[in-house]
Amino acid sequence: MGKIKKGLAAAAGLMMLVAALSGCGKDRKQDGTAENGREFVYVPEYADLAVSCDYINSVTAAGDYIYFVGDSYSGENDEYRGVLYRYNLLENQAQEIMELDEKSNKNLSSMAVTQDGNLVAVFSKYEDVTDESGEIVDSKSTLELCRISVSDGSVSDAQDITEKLGNSEWAYVQYMCADSQDNIYLCDGDGGIYVFGKDMQKLCDIKVDGWVNSMVASKEGDVYVQFYGNGSGAEFRKVDLAGKKLGESITVAGGNGFGGNFFTGVSKSILVSSNDQVSLLDISDGSVEDLFKWLDVDVNGDYVNAAGELSDGRIWAIIRDYSAEEASFELIYLNRKNASEVKEKEEIVYGAMWLGSDIREMIIDFNKSNDQYRITVKQYASDDYETGLTQFNADLTTGNCPDIIDLSSIDFHQYASKGVLEDLYPYMEKSGIQKEEYLENILKAFEQDGKLYGIMPQFYISTTAAKASLVGEKSGWTLTEMLDFVEENDPENVFDYSTRTSIFYYCIYNNIDEFVDWETGKCSFEGEEFIRTLEFAAKFPEEYDYSQEREEGTSAKLRSNKLLLLQTAVSSVQEYQMLNGVFGEEVSYVGYPNNERKGNLIQPANGSIGIAAKSKQKDGAWEFVKTMISEEFQDELVSEHGNYGFPVKKSSLEKQFELDMKANYYEDENGVQVESAKTSWGYDDFSMDIYAATQEEVDGVKALIASCEKISGNVDNQLVNIITEESEAFFKGQKSAADTAGVIQNRIQIYVNENR
Amino acid sequence: MHFFTGRKKVKKSGSNRRTRRGKWIARGYLFPSAAGVLLFFVLPFLIVVYYSVVDNPISGQFVFFDNFVMVFQNAAFQQAAKNTLTFSLTAVPLAVVLSLLLAMTLESKIPFKSQFRTFFLSPMMVPIASVVLIWQVLFHYNGMINEILTFFGGEKIDWLNSSYAQVVIVVLFLWKNLGYNMILFMSALSSIPRDIVEVAVLESATPFQIFWHIKLRYMSSTILFVTIMSLINSFKVFREIYLLKGDYPYDTMYMLQHFMNNTFNRLDYQKMSAAAIMMAIVMVIIIGILFLTESYFGKDVEE
Repeated sequence: MGKIKKGLAAAAGLMMLVAALSGCGKDRKQDGTAENGREFVYVPEYADLAVSCDYINSVTAAGDYIYFVGDSYSGENDEYRGVLYRYNLLENQAQEIMELDEKSNKNLSSMAVTQDGNLVAVFSKYEDVTDESGEIVDSKSTLELCRISVSDGSVSDAQDITEKLGNSEWAYVQYMCADSQDNIYLCDGDGGIYVFGKDMQKLCDIKVDGWVNSMVASKEGDVYVQFYGNGSGAEFRKVDLAGKKLGESITVAGGNGFGGNFFTGVSKSILVSSNDQVSLLDISDGSVEDLFKWLDVDVNGDYVNAAGELSDGRIWAIIRDYSAEEASFELIYLNRKNASEVKEKEEIVYGAMWLGSDIREMIIDFNKSNDQYRITVKQYASDDYETGLTQFNADLTTGNCPDIIDLSSIDFHQYASKGVLEDLYPYMEKSGIQKEEYLENILKAFEQDGKLYGIMPQFYISTTAAKASLVGEKSGWTLTEMLDFVEENDPENVFDYSTRTSIFYYCIYNNIDEFVDWETGKCSFEGEEFIRTLEFAAKFPEEYDYSQEREEGTSAKLRSNKLLLLQTAVSSVQEYQMLNGVFGEEVSYVGYPNNERKGNLIQPANGSIGIAAKSKQKDGAWEFVKTMISEEFQDELVSEHGNYGFPVKKSSLEKQFELDMKANYYEDENGVQVESAKTSWGYDDFSMDIYAATQEEVDGVKALIASCEKISGNVDNQLVNIITEESEAFFKGQKSAADTAGVIQNRIQIYVNENR
Repeated sequence: MHFFTGRKKVKKSGSNRRTRRGKWIARGYLFPSAAGVLLFFVLPFLIVVYYSVVDNPISGQFVFFDNFVMVFQNAAFQQAAKNTLTFSLTAVPLAVVLSLLLAMTLESKIPFKSQFRTFFLSPMMVPIASVVLIWQVLFHYNGMINEILTFFGGEKIDWLNSSYAQVVIVVLFLWKNLGYNMILFMSALSSIPRDIVEVAVLESATPFQIFWHIKLRYMSSTILFVTIMSLINSFKVFREIYLLKGDYPYDTMYMLQHFMNNTFNRLDYQKMSAAAIMMAIVMVIIIGILFLTESYFGKDVEE
């Protein structure tokens, strides 16, 4: 019996152990927006704006109405049209208040709503200042305060307030609001608050000692200002009109430093919309209620133009999609619902050190369109990288690993070799995606032992360019070749703005493997090449003197051989065309020094991701990952001017090249079709018009892409840290290069031995 | 007979109930500490054992003793084991002998005894982070020690980045630990029965004979304790080295704790665990030998 008991106890202990060590991911189910077991969630509802305009400016809200200026441009007449609208958010109806005279150089800068529902507004007018001969010598702005009747658009009580705002030359109104007594508060960009009475006469001005982040009228009718005081940090204070000063600092839960845009609240004093979330602030007790995160309602917080509360409890927001080439505005209503009413979706966790804006956009699109899965984001390094990485590692080993892992800021090789990442080739095969359809060398950048552990939708190339006449026609060079070349030519500078550190890291950063043989575990930092690199770097100044006057620009220096190399990136055919123009002759893209002469490096654009091997939602994760390499998405990357990188799908890349080679034409006065410039590019002192690319140029880009094998920046930071730490003494002249190299060799040898 | 048996039965049964009840109460009282021991000592140890037999903490494939073989053959582990052993074999005897000598000296009639005691104890009161800063200044390439060396015509030595590094660490260790050991020895010395020493003096025993045959015998358990504590502290010297030179110091300063700390940071829990278990086994053996030695030398005193 005793033995049985002991057995049971041991079994229980083992179960505890197994439970503690069990693998990743519990099955997670979650509703559309419910996070952390919340009772209520917000569900987005999209509405078309009932006005047609290209831009929306000066949005001002009052209850269920908003007021804004809608600008639209007519290409036919080359004219702008600006209209002041009153918008009923409950009924989604717009009322045109008045048309603004766009030719008068007069803009509606800010406005506020008074108690009777009419508007007070500030117009800014820019005027050129001419001299006696009529030549423009300067410009100045004037500000005009007036009333606007909402019913007929009539303007009354207009007065020039430029002088009253102190800075007469460049007077500007950043924020404007009205209190419950219809007093008008204006805040300039320089910390000055100016208060005008109901009769439009100036009552007082109040100086804020710091940088004003926002000024807002509360639901109760008082005006508050949030500013970053000089030395006192973020503060939130009421504007005390009676005392003509700022009131006592208000303590807000979670700190006064929360950023974002402030709007007059309906249920509580103030609504705060940051790029992360929406919160309500109750001034009476400083409490803050977080309503929802923008990402949870499929909205990119960076795109929120304005937001507020409606009387029926909904939240409204005007969104401008900055990712689209043409501006587009959307009106979104967010309805509060019981979490149980919302359809459940399976949750996929996206883990990233930091969430890139492109990935955020993709996640929002995925969540909007996918009925089965919903991606939630776990950002690890919001505060600092080391803490984030520790937490990420802990999650990997304790069963909380994310389903999708963002590879942008982690050492991909380390995690792949630990079995953290799933091989993506079988998933591609299962989905009928042929790897031959993609650039093999780019896919291989995320390969290890024939398995694909990561995917990037787009890439650009980090390289070094030099004149082919000097360096020869080559696509790579070793460190010795690079040092020989530079020392033979002896220019004023190797690179523009070069310093000792930049030169040193240029030589070794992407080339550390040359000094470490991971197969045998031998390091060669004591060798001649490393010592030579140290001595070479020491010839350069510790810091670049930016105060010195530059007699020539980069292009002029390169052309006259005063500068030998240009560290740059090539992200489009047009950029390649421009770089050739910068040198004024044939260019060799030799890349970074590398013992295999493979120094043109792949730099993922638009993020890079992998799937966790222990994920319970691998299929759902793949659903998202595959969107990155889908034909539709890859074709979307094709753009007239290049989309900050090349697509990885061969067919999309070919479409990009076709577009690059397609000429634009215009008809001259004789009716002849003449090729016109597609755009113009510039680099420092150089600029050029870009025409359709030639076959030779496209072939050059193809060759450059084909020469790439390695990913940029995938360098072991520990090695770099040791080298940085020890080389400091040499650069300060305290030790010889040989002694320094000896210590580096010794310390790195330990590291290498440890990791074999 | 039947009555007697019956009575006996009743009596036995009452006693059993009480015993059982007593046992349950005892178990109730024992539970919190037993649970604590299980949760904070046994479970972590079992987890370490688990990690030492899997390929890595993420995939968790059972690989039997491969990790032990791999770690044993690893050049960094060998270097760390050699350094740790060398350091412990140098620093621990020095810490025991020097502190014993100090205790003996302070026990004799010398002036400023109290001041000396305070002087030797003061390193214990200084936070280690600030101590390391001072030592960095002292042993930096352009530090005070090298200034003194060059003043007397010597060559500068890169103390922390050369084979001298372990000397620095031994000195730092002794500076930090001598005071504590000394107090323990002083306390042991004061507890030696005076009559035995007086008899030995009357019997014309030399001071060395008194020290060797009486004092050392009486202090054997304290010597064992001090040795074990010094041994444990010698493994903790990683803290000072880490603060001085980070994760990867010069190879003569690279200790087993570095190996374990670094492998942990790189998610190589399997290597860390295998190294930890090997180190624990060696520790158990060393401490076992120390116990045997102590019981051999101190048995007549105990008797």
